[in-house]
Amino acid sequence: MQPVSQAMPAVRIVVAEPPLPPPDEGPDTVAALQRLGPEARVDVVGDSATCIALCRAGDVDLVVVDRALGSEGQRILEELRRCGPPVVVVGRDIADEAALDAFRRGAAECVAVRADQVELLPVVALEQIQRWRALCERAAAERRIQEIKQLQRQVLQTEKMASIGQLAAGVAHEINNPIAFVHANLSLMGEYLADLGRAWDHVEALQKAVSRGELAEVRRASSELAATAEEADIRYLLSDLAKAIRESQEGSERIRHIVRDLQDFSRQDSAERVLADVNDCLSSTVGIVRPMMKHVVELETDYDEPMQIACYPMQLKQVFLNLLVNGFQAIEERVGDSGEIGHIRVRTARVEGGVTISVSDDGTGIPPDHLGRIFDPFFTTKEVGSGTGLGLSTSFNIVQRHGGTLTAESAPGEGATFRVFLPALAGVEGGRGG
Amino acid sequence: MAGDAIPRAPSLLLVDDEARILSALRRTLRREGYEILTAETPDEALRVLGQRPVDLVLSDQKMPGMSGLQLLAEAARRRPDAARVLITGWTEAIPREELDRLGVRALITKPWDDADLKRTLRQALAAVSG
Repeated sequence: MQPVSQAMPAVRIVVAEPPLPPPDEGPDTVAALQRLGPEARVDVVGDSATCIALCRAGDVDLVVVDRALGSEGQRILEELRRCGPPVVVVGRDIADEAALDAFRRGAAECVAVRADQVELLPVVALEQIQRWRALCERAAAERRIQEIKQLQRQVLQTEKMASIGQLAAGVAHEINNPIAFVHANLSLMGEYLADLGRAWDHVEALQKAVSRGELAEVRRASSELAATAEEADIRYLLSDLAKAIRESQEGSERIRHIVRDLQDFSRQDSAERVLADVNDCLSSTVGIVRPMMKHVVELETDYDEPMQIACYPMQLKQVFLNLLVNGFQAIEERVGDSGEIGHIRVRTARVEGGVTISVSDDGTGIPPDHLGRIFDPFFTTKEVGSGTGLGLSTSFNIVQRHGGTLTAESAPGEGATFRVFLPALAGVEGGRGG
Repeated sequence: MAGDAIPRAPSLLLVDDEARILSALRRTLRREGYEILTAETPDEALRVLGQRPVDLVLSDQKMPGMSGLQLLAEAARRRPDAARVLITGWTEAIPREELDRLGVRALITKPWDDADLKRTLRQALAAVSG
């Protein structure tokens, strides 16, 4: 028995048996279980409620139910059947029928405990405990994996939002302009409406005069209408009102688009890979950054034929966003306030076994001594607060997860090119070095 | 302007790369009695400045090729007597000293308040003509 207690310290067993054992010398279940060693803690309960409560509180490895407990014992079996420690049913004699009934109710084992068979119960108990512990460990490991996955998703999402944050000024500007003119137009349209209302008052006055048939009154009302129409420039108001509405609609449509693109971008991927076109992922990312880089960067795109790969599209978009934002920042750093325009060139090309996506900028470039470290987590040359230092390392991990590679080439003063290779084959993890 | 025989309406040059903004500004200023000129690029603005008398330049800050401040600095060289006003989204902070150095009379933020805009332009014009 020694190895048992060494392998499993602090085994906890709950025995459920009638409080008053039958007068004849019944089998001593507790004594049999104590043969497991001093580390086996055995609690004895006399009813199902206490037993179930102990199990729900956790760390019970095994329940041993005496058949003499009757319906209380059956309740324990039923309760623990779905989730809970294994239940071994014991009895002085267990006939086939009784055993069958116990198994049906979810018993893990049935053991006869008799004076001449006192050795069997500890062996069975040990086996059940080991099986149960292995099961618990597997479940815990599974939970840990899920937790890590969840954490990974959160990091990705945080990094993605941080990348979008780099573009916040651009987003604000893009939204602010249409808001400015829609706002101005709305208040002016209110003024136009007031002028049109005044003219309408005169139209009604004229109508009344006409229906009364008073020529002088008609003349006066008519000239008042004409004067108001002239003074308020009603013709112009009517045509400009239509124009103002059209322009405002276009403005609000623009805002709607920007917000929808951002929402689209902030979504999380599903847990499973899906088939998506690399060009679509790239062009939707380009679509979101292009207006935000306006005035600083001219973005040129060159897409090869559509290419479907099994991937996490949102994650790929995040890689593309990171690369584009990096290029944008390198250009901003180089041109400063000079008003000069930088260039980013985005290309996709179908190659053997997959597709390459390259993002080239004519920004400051990467010094040779940085080139080996840019994919390291937290490596950043940006000022505190303007970068997480995780952008490229996150991108690297995402590409690796897709079985691809991410490489960078640069010479100082000549910009940089980042190249992503994604294999067409699904489920190829790891990859071709890197 | 002092030598002009016939008093003419003050002439405003509005510069913004967003045509809809120019259109809305024009609407806002419709009743103010100005002659309104517009330009959608800094280059176009400089061309207009070379051809027409302009009393006030109202320029957006963020434009392709040249910032509003750069344009206003250039306008100051070409037409020192024209008032200069900058209009901008709130995203880019422009230091007051920078505005003073370039003789920019006022800073208007988008979205603007109609009454505020009208008053600011009137005051800027009064300051240069007075």
